[in-house]
Amino acid sequence: MVYEPHHKAVIGRPFRTILRYNAAYWREYLAGALLSSIFVLVGLCMPLVIRGVVAAFENERMTPRLLWLYLVGLIAISIATGFSRYFERKLIISASRKAEYDLRNDFFRHIQSLSQDFFHRVQTGDLMARATNDLNFVRMFIGPGIMGTIDMMRLPLTLGVMVYLSGRLTLLSLLPLPLVSILVYGIVMFMHRQSQKIQAQYSVVTSRVQENLAGARVVKAYGVADREVEAFEAESMKYMRENIKLASVMSFAMPLIGMVVALMILLVLWRGGLMVIDGSLELEDLTGFIVCMLLLVWPLAEFGWIMTLYQRGAVGMNRINEVFAEIPTVRDGERTRREASVSEGHIRFQNVCFSYADQATLQQVDFEVLPGQTVAIVGLTGSGKSTVVSMLTREYDVTSGAVLVDGQDVREIPVQSLRGAMGYVLQDTFLFSDSIRANVTFGRPHATGEEIARACDTAQFTETVEGLPEGLDTLLGERGVNLSGGQKQRLAIARAVVCDPKILILDDALSSVDTHTEEMILQRLKEVMANRTSIIISHRISTILHADLILVLEGGRVVEQGTHETLLELGGLYAELHERQLLEEELEGA
Amino acid sequence: MSDGYHMEDEVQQRAYDAHLMKRLIVYVRPHRKALALAVVLLLLMAILSTLTPWLNWKAIAWYINDPERVALDEQIVQFGSDAGPDLMAEAAAKAADDRGGLVRLIGIIALLLLGEALCRYFQTLIVSIVGQKTMLRMRMEIFTHLQRMSLRFLDRNPVGRLMTRVTNDVEKIQDTIVGGVVQIINDLFVIVVVLVFMAWNNWQLTLIALSPIPFVFLTGVVFRKYVQKSYLEIRKKIASLNAYAQENISGMRVVQIFCREAENFEQYRQRNAGHRDEWFRQIRYYAIYFPVIDFLGSFSLALIIVYGGRQLLHDQQALGTPADIGMFFAYVQWSERLYGPIRALADRYNLLLEAMASSERVFELLDTPEEVVNKPDAMVADGLDGAVEFKDVWFAYEPGQWVLKNISLSIRPGERVAIVGHTGAGKSTFINLLSRFYDVQRGSISVDGLDVRDYEKRSLRRNIGVVLQDVFLFNGSVEHNIRLGDKALDENRMRACAQYVNAAPFIERLPEQYGYDVGERGCNMSTGQRQLVAFARALAHDPRILVLDEATSSVDPETEALIQDAITKLMEGRTSIVIAHRLSTIQHADRIIVMHHGEIRETGTHQDLLAQRGLYYKLYRLQYK
Repeated sequence: MVYEPHHKAVIGRPFRTILRYNAAYWREYLAGALLSSIFVLVGLCMPLVIRGVVAAFENERMTPRLLWLYLVGLIAISIATGFSRYFERKLIISASRKAEYDLRNDFFRHIQSLSQDFFHRVQTGDLMARATNDLNFVRMFIGPGIMGTIDMMRLPLTLGVMVYLSGRLTLLSLLPLPLVSILVYGIVMFMHRQSQKIQAQYSVVTSRVQENLAGARVVKAYGVADREVEAFEAESMKYMRENIKLASVMSFAMPLIGMVVALMILLVLWRGGLMVIDGSLELEDLTGFIVCMLLLVWPLAEFGWIMTLYQRGAVGMNRINEVFAEIPTVRDGERTRREASVSEGHIRFQNVCFSYADQATLQQVDFEVLPGQTVAIVGLTGSGKSTVVSMLTREYDVTSGAVLVDGQDVREIPVQSLRGAMGYVLQDTFLFSDSIRANVTFGRPHATGEEIARACDTAQFTETVEGLPEGLDTLLGERGVNLSGGQKQRLAIARAVVCDPKILILDDALSSVDTHTEEMILQRLKEVMANRTSIIISHRISTILHADLILVLEGGRVVEQGTHETLLELGGLYAELHERQLLEEELEGA
Repeated sequence: MSDGYHMEDEVQQRAYDAHLMKRLIVYVRPHRKALALAVVLLLLMAILSTLTPWLNWKAIAWYINDPERVALDEQIVQFGSDAGPDLMAEAAAKAADDRGGLVRLIGIIALLLLGEALCRYFQTLIVSIVGQKTMLRMRMEIFTHLQRMSLRFLDRNPVGRLMTRVTNDVEKIQDTIVGGVVQIINDLFVIVVVLVFMAWNNWQLTLIALSPIPFVFLTGVVFRKYVQKSYLEIRKKIASLNAYAQENISGMRVVQIFCREAENFEQYRQRNAGHRDEWFRQIRYYAIYFPVIDFLGSFSLALIIVYGGRQLLHDQQALGTPADIGMFFAYVQWSERLYGPIRALADRYNLLLEAMASSERVFELLDTPEEVVNKPDAMVADGLDGAVEFKDVWFAYEPGQWVLKNISLSIRPGERVAIVGHTGAGKSTFINLLSRFYDVQRGSISVDGLDVRDYEKRSLRRNIGVVLQDVFLFNGSVEHNIRLGDKALDENRMRACAQYVNAAPFIERLPEQYGYDVGERGCNMSTGQRQLVAFARALAHDPRILVLDEATSSVDPETEALIQDAITKLMEGRTSIVIAHRLSTIQHADRIIVMHHGEIRETGTHQDLLAQRGLYYKLYRLQYK
């Protein structure tokens, strides 16, 4: 479950990535920051107004008219701050959503570009966790985080006013600042370490659940649910303890920071109060000064929260970057010729060897299929039949040897153009929760109604479609109907046929279809595929009887090849398979 | 997952649900004392934090701007050098008094701040610990409940979805509900306490300060109406966005083979844009709401200054008393403390509702009843002989589609039975029923003369050793996979088991031997090696009844020989039911059962059945020749 990237070196610098995604919206951020400064500047009038009011009282110059003037002034300030606040929020948070949108798109596109080996290594759940949880942390960083940072700009400006009111008091009020910085630094360091521990332990807990559910049969069969619960509890407890460790430090640190900030104000009240008593400071300056400090309390209190957002955002960005650092193993490279394409469907395997995870799965596979021919591949489970096909579709690249299509190495043909020339019916019928029409036209979105009808006809799928209430527009999946295994396979055949492929591949594509229907489909396919190349993988001999070439695979090697007749004559593995098949049919009728 | 049919959970509109809240409260009930303390601390915090502005005010009113001292100072200024020494001395004494008083008061305020910080510390600590403990309990409850769920349930529900319940949803409940409720209580306390303080000191001024409140409420109501709708839209959009991503990742192979990358990216992009645009709408709501509330807050402040100012002016001019500047101070701070929580409340409520959806899903899972349950007076299976009897058993996974039809079969203790038949004949169902993964619809299955439904299921299963065709190994060491967490099993016994089933030689060649990590689902081992480990596992648990579904996949001849030898050894002295694919296994069986379309068609020994020239004869030629 927890996937370990094997390129730790590339990771790091999450802030750089975040910056890159936001750089495109610098105008919004700049405008937001400018408006925010207006907000700050106008907000700074508040202490001055209060100072003015106090001074007026002190000097007994206050009149009702003056008071009304102050009222109007204050309301004007409020309106101004309100407006700048509005635009600031709208600009900055919207920009952060735009950056999130870009990041999501890039993430999706990047995953699309990765090759099958990646998807074997990484679990869907893990990728989804990154695409949802971690991405959200990053978003929180760029939205509220950046806004909070911009808010922090209040600090220097407010400080300026404070210096204007009383330099001595400013100095005094800043006295505890080094202490606060050391405190904050320590907390941030601790938070980072502890967050990493927590996130790692969270992965452990998640994997535990995943393993337990995936192995539910074994757990039940051995009656070890209690031990599973015990083990899970141990991991969950550890997770809880790590969380509590963070919480106890944070619940100590946050009030402490709050208290230190409050003490700063108190310090000013004390020294400033004494100065007023001595007559070395005017009361109005002291009040103005303290109101200034009150304006500072909020950003300082917010500081801890912003640090949390930063930490989580950085960890999340790192986890997303791990995926970004993955390089597709199959892609258009230097050898690719842009103009290369498949025109005839001539296939040649030259001594193809392929090993995956250090285990050889194909060895010295060598054969040739002429355009328009049908080649069949038979063999036991795990003998490498599907692997042969994935060499052709370039889901994996050969370890040695070469696969040629129309005389060109498949690595020379652009991947999209290569795959576009093929119609592939996979062993594992994956359909999308969309309408039947959308599923049929998956490889050819703009197929005409006639083409769709013809493809359904070929796949013997028309009757099924007509039996559904909404025909082609019937939705599949949880919100729609569930097709049977055979129906799904026929839909998958229609999906491949509608692409009008140069090369058609059927990977055990008729296993859930009854023999009669199978015969009909094969008959129709023969017409459609008259001038094209077909590759058929099947367990049923009846399916491959008429193939021009039959390859018999065992342990990744082609052990026999020829036509049905020559192979029967040979009396080897194929003949044995054939005999079993006949018996099975007999048995089926028993 | 082989199927693309997996949508995110249905998104529903959720109003505040008292019933859900009640169920949630059950989880925090054990911590009610701690929580009561936390609430007291919250109240104390609210009082202390409100007291500080009042004391600040008094610091100014009593000492810094002490009217008597100010009056004396004024006299001194008036008289200039004519001021008598008495007057000077009196002023100096007054100033000294004020200084002392100020320092004392500052000391008190500092103590109050310390008190407040302590309250906050303990309060946060209590709430975090309670939250974490609640989360642990809920998580364990879900996990334990999942252990009791039948295979039928587990087959129907994707692993990913169930995982979300145990992980994300629980996290969200802890975060938002426990944290959120405490925040709301805190906000309410602060509002009440501040109001009391304000009214106590000057009720007219308080009324003036509160005059924008109706507008605040109005804004809040309107805001909530829009924002809630928008929240719902966003949740729908994000669910659809994630479902689409998930489906694409699961079906990436199809996407790539059909060159649909560009097309699907466009679809994703559109959903993504829809999601973003809905956020833009919500941002607009917030961008209006917050400034409006802020404005109303500032407006209240302005009113305080003007109205309070007029009062002070009146005092100053009519009564001749100096203006009590400190009061401004207190009211300015109080009004800020009042509007902060008011502003936050509407938003917190929204978040709370959102998290309620998580708790609803969790409870729905917890409410799913167990399908296979122990009877109240269930027997603990112990020291079984291993006699198995199927009596007129009918079974169907889907109603009406019988997989087993009227099966009757009696197996003596220690007997070795092989079940043969082609795919779909109902062989694996035998195993599922005997271990009580499912209950039969008609008839009965008994072990040692007692119906399996009368046994405590785990004790029954412990007596039945199952080795499945598709061997499942857990991520972890070889040792862990043999022991399955059984600490009672000693090291030597574990090694002996591995040795006995021919697993030891290859295990000892592994880099860390028994400590070797087998990887997810055992992917670091070959199929044959996984089988041998599974045999060792079965032997280590020394079951009375062995149930074995032989693997069909081909392994190299050397390993094949080891496996066959191991199977023979495993069956020795145990009641064994083997779904056989290997001739040698069948030949070692005392009796062979031939299944066909859910029925027993033939029984007998290998020789008998061959002589019959019936189904078995054909199967034999097909599979074992």
